[in-house]
Amino acid sequence: MTVTDTGVRRRAPHAVVARGLTKVYGQGDAAVHALRGVDVSFATEAFTAIMGPSGSGKSTLMHCLAGLDTVTGGTVHIGDVELTGLGDKQLTKLRRERIGFIFQAFNLLPTLTAEQNIRLPLEIAGRQADQALFEKVIETVGLRDRLKHRPTELSGGQQQRVAVARALISKPQVIFADEPTGNLDSRSGAEVLSFLRASVRELGQTIVMVTHDPLAASYADRVVFLHDGSLVSELYQPTPQSVLDTLLKLEG
Amino acid sequence: MLRTTLAGLRAHRLRLLLTALAITLGVGFIAGTFVLTDTIRAGFARTFAADADRVDVAVLPAGATQGGDDVLPAATLEKVRAVAGVADAQGLIRGSAALIGSDGKVVGDLPTGAISIAEGPLNRTRITSGRAPAAAGEAVLDENTAKTRKFAVGDTVTVLDHDQAQHRFTLVGLFDVGVDQELGFTGALGYTAEDARRMTGVKGFAEIDVKADGTTDPARLKAAVAAALGVGVEVMTGQELADVLASANGVSTDFITAGLLLFGLVAMLVAALVIYNTFTILVAQRTREMALLRCIGATKGQVFGSILLESAVVGLLSSLLGLLAGLGLGAAALAVLSGLEVDIPTGTAELTPRTVIAGLALGMVVTVGAALLPARSATRVAPVAALRTQVEERGFRTGVLRSVVSGLFLAVGAGVIAYAVSMEPGEQALFAVVGGGAVVFLGVLALGPVLVRPLAAFTGWVPRRLFGVPGRLAVDNSRRNPSRSATTTVALTIGVTLMTMMSVLTASTRATANAQLDEQFPVDYMVSAQAGEGTVPRSIAADLRTRPELSSVVQLREVPAKVGGARGEWPVGTFEGPFTVVTTSGSMSGFRAGTVVVGDTAAGKLGVKVGDQIRVVTEEAGTVPLTVIALYDSGSSPLPDLTVPAAAFQEYFGAVDDSRVMVKRAEGVPADRGRTVVEAAAQPYPTALVSSAAEVRGEFDQALDMMLMIVTGLLGLAILISLLGIANTLSLSVHERTRESALLRALGLTRPQLRGMLTVEALVLGLIGALVGVVLGIVFGWAAVQTMADSPRFDLPVAQVLAFVALSGVAGVVAALLPARRAARASIVGALATS
Ligand SMILES: Nc1ncnc2c1ncn2[C@@H]1O[C@H](COP(=O)(O)OP(=O)(O)OP(=O)(O)O)[C@@H](O)[C@H]1O
Ligand SMILES: [Mg+2]
Repeated sequence: MTVTDTGVRRRAPHAVVARGLTKVYGQGDAAVHALRGVDVSFATEAFTAIMGPSGSGKSTLMHCLAGLDTVTGGTVHIGDVELTGLGDKQLTKLRRERIGFIFQAFNLLPTLTAEQNIRLPLEIAGRQADQALFEKVIETVGLRDRLKHRPTELSGGQQQRVAVARALISKPQVIFADEPTGNLDSRSGAEVLSFLRASVRELGQTIVMVTHDPLAASYADRVVFLHDGSLVSELYQPTPQSVLDTLLKLEG
Repeated sequence: MLRTTLAGLRAHRLRLLLTALAITLGVGFIAGTFVLTDTIRAGFARTFAADADRVDVAVLPAGATQGGDDVLPAATLEKVRAVAGVADAQGLIRGSAALIGSDGKVVGDLPTGAISIAEGPLNRTRITSGRAPAAAGEAVLDENTAKTRKFAVGDTVTVLDHDQAQHRFTLVGLFDVGVDQELGFTGALGYTAEDARRMTGVKGFAEIDVKADGTTDPARLKAAVAAALGVGVEVMTGQELADVLASANGVSTDFITAGLLLFGLVAMLVAALVIYNTFTILVAQRTREMALLRCIGATKGQVFGSILLESAVVGLLSSLLGLLAGLGLGAAALAVLSGLEVDIPTGTAELTPRTVIAGLALGMVVTVGAALLPARSATRVAPVAALRTQVEERGFRTGVLRSVVSGLFLAVGAGVIAYAVSMEPGEQALFAVVGGGAVVFLGVLALGPVLVRPLAAFTGWVPRRLFGVPGRLAVDNSRRNPSRSATTTVALTIGVTLMTMMSVLTASTRATANAQLDEQFPVDYMVSAQAGEGTVPRSIAADLRTRPELSSVVQLREVPAKVGGARGEWPVGTFEGPFTVVTTSGSMSGFRAGTVVVGDTAAGKLGVKVGDQIRVVTEEAGTVPLTVIALYDSGSSPLPDLTVPAAAFQEYFGAVDDSRVMVKRAEGVPADRGRTVVEAAAQPYPTALVSSAAEVRGEFDQALDMMLMIVTGLLGLAILISLLGIANTLSLSVHERTRESALLRALGLTRPQLRGMLTVEALVLGLIGALVGVVLGIVFGWAAVQTMADSPRFDLPVAQVLAFVALSGVAGVVAALLPARRAARASIVGALATS
């Protein structure tokens, strides 16, 4: 089944496009088909959530889209660059220039302060931070008085906000987030999700987020559903209820 | 619990491998030392035992076994021969008679040895080709000298007797000096008893060997001989003599053993630090595991025991491997020694029970001992730690106790060193420096974690700027766990400190010696007799004075003479030629017959000062009173202790030949031309040897360089082990930071950059260790130099020390190769998934 983006930003170019994506772990009898021919595209300046039952291939899909893992078959484009077939060096370069990451946990280097963590991707890339953008991002995520603190001195929610700020600061073509609120209580989670949505609205950021939580998914513009390695459904302008209904339908 | 421990060992076997290697190397070195010296000792015992079989009873002058020089009078031999039960008795003559080489000059730095070769069954000399000398005019030469001086059986050789008269001998055979160190060094000729007596001028026997007639057993014969000879001799059975000789030679192997063991212990100390660090890190990494064990009911004691058990297994396995390595090492050393044709007995290397016990015990004690503290800290893990999600970063706070303790150590150590430096130079002062140094080192060890941060900032200054983000992250990482970094680097510091100290000592010794040489030997060439004893004819100096190529010729003469009121004999002498005496008190202006100038050291011992009188017993003029008119610095002058004018000297002692002739080249004459002239003048006299200042210096330099090389090589082991430590710490840290590395890679750090990051971290660690080591080494070296001589020169071999620092950095980088490769190879997704 092919899912095409028919949402509000229909005519906007796609930031990420995957065609016939397959991923097989292991060989022979032990082979696990984590992705079975996924065709999916993610619109620019949109907030998309990927959902599905545990083991359905969400993380695998994200890793393949972000060039963190190699694919078994199919192609992935980020903007006009085809990822599949690139060597490690070019992939690394692509990641540092076009992609931002937010992980579920262990997002920050313990030796660096919040500010240093935020600026890290730019420094790795040897680029200068856009000071105006920096101020704005700090303002948005509300970290101004925490900049000199180290990760161990920050709460889990604050740590995730630092990770969000870090992803935003380099203005990547797309941000991938794997269960960014998985470790947070509902209030901190809501905060982080608001920032993500705000960054899409106000900064024109493109975000792809993997989540288990229907409430988190409802912050997105669009939700795509994975089941057993295949795309099975999608929702636009999701509400927690509509997401939950779809999930129940998939599992039932 | 046992099963858990063993499972843990299996799971961590890679991580424990490097630790095990550290112990294996240390134990291997120590076991190798024992293997080597045991084998040599056994070889000595075998050789002497073989000799003892030929001799039933031996008679030696009293005190000979303690190194006395007395001889047995010829009459003793007749008395021994007369004892009932004696089948044969022969006296051994031992002395020296200089062999003249094909260049017409005496061979070697010391006169060639001369021994009598006994006839018949009592002959203990191993003739390797030809036959033993049977008649006057026949001689055998030792194989080594024959080879180096190109003599063969059938050749005619010229030898100087004790009166410097030349005699010719036909070589009828070659022999092996065996384990006789002295003859091995000087080379030796063997003669018939009569020739040996004539050549050496020795009027008695060094030893009389007795063969029993078969009806009397050695012990009874020994008693009979002893009864016949009375006091003044030592009588032993052959077996007793062999034992005495073997143990006398064993003393020298004891010395080697002690020296090598010292390096082995340094290596073990470093290994202990490496183990301590490894177990500390492993325990820290397994906090959750320990907590879980405690949650499910393990007691503190069980947790403690499991860590100790783990260390014991590692210790045992690696010590066993170490013993094998030691066996190989010992065998290799023996092979090298026999390849070098050193005159020591060798044989097959074997592990004695003592070696096995010592190696195992040391390996186990060091491993388990080093794991004690980490095991104790493992028991402090609270069960609740199992529930924490994030492993806490181990911060470090400078405790008051630590500051006080390290401050105390530093102060005491520095105090002892300062006191030692102010002491009279000598062994005691040196030991005090060593002791003080050890205490200072303990202080630095305790202070290490505090020092790491600023030192990392210092050594990391350049890499931080040079390598961008990876460089900065690396420097941060190097000081994120100060205790761990400190222990890692201290292991390296030990080796670098000792190396730096040695190179400072060598350079300073060289500088001091050169300075003394410049003062004592302010000449281009010197003509003197072999070994600096004896004289050369005055005609050489007279001849040299006629040569325009030479600008100054100074003759020195001296004879030993008794001085009224003082014990022993004192060198009394004179100089002839343009020589200026630099006085420390008094003046040379009234230097004429009836006066004397005295070296300040001798003046001190004689208790005289300027204006006093000394009574010297002369050969030709009876006892003469001499007035001291001046003193000079004994340390820097070639003059004899008591120097009188040349004419007066001749009056007192007759026409004594020159003991030394000091020659200076005229300006503009090339060195080799000058040398040719001097050698030509000395050529007619076989015992007159020409040396140059450059040669004397060169020989000394070579000896020093050799020593430095050996010591550096032996310390290399400690350095190697500390590098294992760096590699180990790094790979454990890499393991700990798997997710961090993955994150960095996801954020765009390339593989080479990640590798570079770890390499820089190792570089910084290596540089910290080297820096501390170099500073300590220079200070200790300086202090040690102050204890070695009265007016020492301190010389800092800057290039060498910088090379140590650079090499430590490089070594750190090498240590990082494998861990860095592993880290860079890890897949990002896989690493992100690890919990
Ligand atoms: N390295 C691997 N080797 C083998 N199989 C793997 C590997 N990684 C993932 N899989 C398998 O691939 C499938 C998809 O895994 P993936 O991690 O993408 O699921 P997910 O949707 O992210 O699940 P969750 O919601 O639990 O995080 C699973 O069946 C999983 O067991
Ligand atoms: Mg997942």
